[in-house]
Amino acid sequence: MSNEFTCRHARVEIGGDPHVQSPELGAHLAACAACTRFRTETLALDARLRAAFELSLTEFRKPERRAPPARRFALAASVVLATIIGASFWLLKPQPALAGDVLEHVKDETGSWDAHELLTPSQLADVLRQAGVQFDSSMPVLYAMACPFRGRRVPHLVVQTAEGPLTVMLLAHEKVAARLEFTEGAYRGILLPVGEGSVAVLARNGGVPDAVAAKVVSGVRW
Amino acid sequence: MNPRPRGTTVTSAFARLLETLRPDLVRFAFWLARDRAVAEDVVQETLIRAWKSRDELKDAAAARPWLLTIVRREHARLYERKRLPTVDVEQVEALGDPALASDGDAGLEDLRRAIMQLPDEYREPLVLQVLGGLSTAEIATELKLTQPAVLTRLFRARNRLRTIYGLEPAEDAE
Repeated sequence: MSNEFTCRHARVEIGGDPHVQSPELGAHLAACAACTRFRTETLALDARLRAAFELSLTEFRKPERRAPPARRFALAASVVLATIIGASFWLLKPQPALAGDVLEHVKDETGSWDAHELLTPSQLADVLRQAGVQFDSSMPVLYAMACPFRGRRVPHLVVQTAEGPLTVMLLAHEKVAARLEFTEGAYRGILLPVGEGSVAVLARNGGVPDAVAAKVVSGVRW
Repeated sequence: MNPRPRGTTVTSAFARLLETLRPDLVRFAFWLARDRAVAEDVVQETLIRAWKSRDELKDAAAARPWLLTIVRREHARLYERKRLPTVDVEQVEALGDPALASDGDAGLEDLRRAIMQLPDEYREPLVLQVLGGLSTAEIATELKLTQPAVLTRLFRARNRLRTIYGLEPAEDAE
């Protein structure tokens, strides 16, 4: 039996885990353009797979039980009324989808606001690495998770400021044209363009100081 | 003044941790079960079991893999205990589950449907690796397989998905 590391061995190893490379595979790739291309394709496929697995949880809300006919009529009337009222608000103050998704995500992780202990640089670096983002800031970080958001992993941070904790989401793949402010209930937030992406900064029961937002933006590297 | 009972801070921190990780657990359970009601049940059981066993978790950083392992075992246990019928792939497709939809990205939706159609033996290690972040060695331990067997299953899973992504499949491994 031959111990030769063939293209077939290479394809199985790449297809098994394209992010890991044994010394044998490394040596093979250095000499085989076809397997190198296969690995590049598989890495691209994996990025799509990662996005495919990250289902939107807003689609996971359990369906309501079906109401009896009389209640259904009342429900239908209230839905029509709510739609008219909602549409009026929408026309008066359009809420962009991205801001809505940011709010939805932050409200899904309300526990993040209660973090009190400072994260170590390595804990923060680990989260940033998972999302492929750099964030160089002197602001103390109390919470950091690489969260699924719109099919990608994005850093969701809570930073400590003189005005209290602020949530920061680093959205490398969400381009916005200009600064945009949004509010909902106790939440106030801004979306700021940063190169090909954007950052969202949110406060709960307060506002986002411009100086803090500028400090966040200056620390981001895609 | 009422002194706070001992352990309250720890348990509330643990509750927050579970709340934070719950969305990931639901997604993971859904891809294993291919049925959202079953996924919700599995996660519910997982959270109860995790709460009871919370003293076993010494490091919060290890919480995610620990919980994902419980999800996988609860999923397997649910099928053993209730003898649930396995999900018919065609039926899953017919349901047109909105969770599979993707705004303006038909390719992503096709990929999700293709993942749904993978046999359990290929889909499960792929979910563990891509969504769960487990290494092939960890998957082998979890599924009680050899590492080469896991690699082959993962290779075959990706090979089937290559065509959906518009790529030529590789020659199968024997």
